Amino acid sequence: MILAMPAPLAPPVFDAAVAYPQVAAARGALAAGDWPALRALVDAQDAHGRTVLVGEVGGTPDAEPLLRKALAEQPDDPVAAAMLGAHLIRAGWRIRTARQAQDVSREQFVQFFDHLRRAEQILIEATARHPQDAAAWTQRVTSARGLQLGQAEARRRYDRLAAGHPHHLPAQGSLLQQFCPKWSGSWEKAYDFARECTDAAPAGAPNAVLVVEVHLEQAFDHGTLSAARAFLRGQQVRAAIHDAAQRSIWHPEFRHGWGWVQVRSTFALAFCLMQEWTPAAQQFAALGHLGDESMFGYFGDAVAQFQRFREKAYAKGGRP
Amino acid sequence: MIQHLETDGVPTLLAPTGGPMRAGLTFRVGTADETLARHGITHLLEHLVLAPLGSADYHFNGATGPVFTTFHMQGSAPDIATFLTSVCANLTDLPTGRLEVEKDILRTEWSSRGSAAIDDIPLWRHGARDHGLSSYPEWGLSRLTAEELRQWAARWFTRENAVLWIAGDRVPEGLRLDLPTGTRQPVPTASSALPTTPAYFVHGARAVVLDAVVRRRAAAPVFAEVLERELFRALRQDAGLSYTISTGYEPRGDGQAHLRALADALAEKQDAVVGGFIDVLAKLRVGRIEQSDLDAAVAKRVDMYATAEFDAARLPAYAFNLLTGESNHTTDEQLAQLKAVTLADLHEVAQEAYASALLMVPDGTSADWAGFTAAPTSSESTVSGTTYRSRDDDSRLLVGTEGVSHLGAGGIVTVTYADCAAMLAWPDGARQLIGHDAIVLHIEPTLFDTHPAAMHVIDSGVPVDRQIRMPPRDPEHIPQPCALREARQHLARPKRAGWEVLLMVLCGLATLVVGGFTLLLTIGMLISPTAEEDVTVLWGAVVIGWLLTVILALPIVLLARGRRR
Repeated sequence: MILAMPAPLAPPVFDAAVAYPQVAAARGALAAGDWPALRALVDAQDAHGRTVLVGEVGGTPDAEPLLRKALAEQPDDPVAAAMLGAHLIRAGWRIRTARQAQDVSREQFVQFFDHLRRAEQILIEATARHPQDAAAWTQRVTSARGLQLGQAEARRRYDRLAAGHPHHLPAQGSLLQQFCPKWSGSWEKAYDFARECTDAAPAGAPNAVLVVEVHLEQAFDHGTLSAARAFLRGQQVRAAIHDAAQRSIWHPEFRHGWGWVQVRSTFALAFCLMQEWTPAAQQFAALGHLGDESMFGYFGDAVAQFQRFREKAYAKGGRP
Repeated sequence: MIQHLETDGVPTLLAPTGGPMRAGLTFRVGTADETLARHGITHLLEHLVLAPLGSADYHFNGATGPVFTTFHMQGSAPDIATFLTSVCANLTDLPTGRLEVEKDILRTEWSSRGSAAIDDIPLWRHGARDHGLSSYPEWGLSRLTAEELRQWAARWFTRENAVLWIAGDRVPEGLRLDLPTGTRQPVPTASSALPTTPAYFVHGARAVVLDAVVRRRAAAPVFAEVLERELFRALRQDAGLSYTISTGYEPRGDGQAHLRALADALAEKQDAVVGGFIDVLAKLRVGRIEQSDLDAAVAKRVDMYATAEFDAARLPAYAFNLLTGESNHTTDEQLAQLKAVTLADLHEVAQEAYASALLMVPDGTSADWAGFTAAPTSSESTVSGTTYRSRDDDSRLLVGTEGVSHLGAGGIVTVTYADCAAMLAWPDGARQLIGHDAIVLHIEPTLFDTHPAAMHVIDSGVPVDRQIRMPPRDPEHIPQPCALREARQHLARPKRAGWEVLLMVLCGLATLVVGGFTLLLTIGMLISPTAEEDVTVLWGAVVIGWLLTVILALPIVLLARGRRR
């Protein structure tokens, strides 16, 4: 008998442009320097999509000249302001790097804070003019964290956003980071917030992924992969993650809208660590060739880790 | 309708009232006209003038503000006539018999007054001079002489520099305002201690306070009201971050006005109050002002105009305008100006307020992230002079012929003698130099390797009339370098009394003997077999032995613990 060897799987595609055609279109418009096209594209999206595109364009290293020009021509344009704010925040973080504070030089910190302050002033004005703009508020939740303005201020910003957009997942994810102990929060606060967002979200909405994220954060806080596994296999943790799955990815109303790749990737990671290979394999299969960095990068190269976990899930859980 | 009259050459304002007669004599002088080294002179003068009239039956008082001093009274026409006539007589021939007593009263008044969150604002905006002086204690009191007070009275409390205002039907019969002649005094120019605005400073109070300087106009107080409504909604109603929200608007007498807003903060919400406050300012600055807020603010003020007492109530403000040469308007004119205020006018005030803003934020927060510059807490340059090293840390003191600098972890602090507003001098040698920019340099000679000659250089550098002698300090409050402090603490430990030592030794010995015996007996009981009938007796002895040991050891424990307390 000849065993049919399955063809080795190609590495996952993490590029958001492949998962979301609008991102590809935005990059095209940005590369062509076509601000009106970019602006029209952003306008055509829902709030979540606008926030994603703002982050995407803002994160492009050479976007600054175009954004500055657009804002100079239209000083009250919330999209140009949010993108430029996002750009400065990302540029600041690139200077600071993600290293531990003690490994960051004084000069790096000076530059980092300078970038965040410049971003903040643009965003203050944008949210003052457009208090309903979820993309600008999301950037302000993030900048509050880098500027270390405090827990209450980050929450206030989120609340301003939530008044108009109660289930805005990108901002919720950002505030969840702020509520973790590494940013002077507490596990209790982080769990409460994740649950609060999950409970309030409509059936099938992706927001329950926050519950998984906070569990993964605490699991990885243990330092080693084995300790993380042990933590995630606890009865209560399993129950909480299964409940989160029922509310989102396992719910018939779950849709592949903005952010779905990240949501499924995060669940897949959690199931792998819980050694629930069948549900993990289901998520990988639903992702197809796509993937998201999610939290795969915590223990090494994200793509390699993703691939390793995916192979193991398919091997042990069966490829649906 | 306010009537313009004249009484003994003093402009007099008269407005009808339905209540008892009230009158005030206001002079264009206040703390902003003083210097730090003479700060308190106007207030002391006001007290000396009123002291001889001191009967509690009368409803009279005096008030000293930054640019005005007022003597006022409520009562019958003859009482008011007597009161104001006596005030003028006392101003002309100052009763200085109670000089030292009144100084003490003022010192008590200062030390017993509650400090408010906004008290420090003038100092941060203006420095240790003119409009900033109201932040400071009345340090000038101790040096003030009767002669200086007479000169002060002759210069400022003159017929030309006064306005009389009366809420009533007439000028009381027999009223004489016998004041010397002089000149109308202009409002002092407001100095600035802020190189750039918007600026901020950190304060221990749990509140965020805005101080802004805007052009005086009808739209400005309306804006203050709109700002209060916005702050109330954002910080109290929507987010529950603050309880007290208030705003104020106060003309400064030079065409400008101070606009202030305060929001208190719960301890754990202070960062959010700063953020929310800044967002409200940003909202108004970009011109997102609600028409409904403008309408409500205007309506509230229109209601004030409609009251029968309106003219009587605005007499003091009217008198201030007369004294500063600013224009007064009829009620109808004011109403028309008020009703003409537009959203565009408010937007303009908002931009002015933001551009001139000085924000006070609670400890642990800042406002630099929002584009506010930290108000200076250190100096730009140092003086050249002899270096003295700190006995405790790396800081250095530079004493020169031009001034003094301190170089420490907090940066450079320099006060030149020429720019020294006042120097506080304690008998133990400590000195505190306060620059006109409000920068404070405190020198404790005990903490530096200073030479006595160095202190002499400082004392002869600061003009004598700016040196303020402070009362002696409790030696406990004079800081000492670490090494000396530890040595003293060691020496200062109370000695144990002889009987205590003896008792502790005796108890110790007895404990040792009884305890040792009981221990041996216990061990013996546990390891060697004993006859049935002896067991009970011996175990009894063990229990009693241990009890005795504890009782004997008790005095040692008690004495040792008592000493640690």
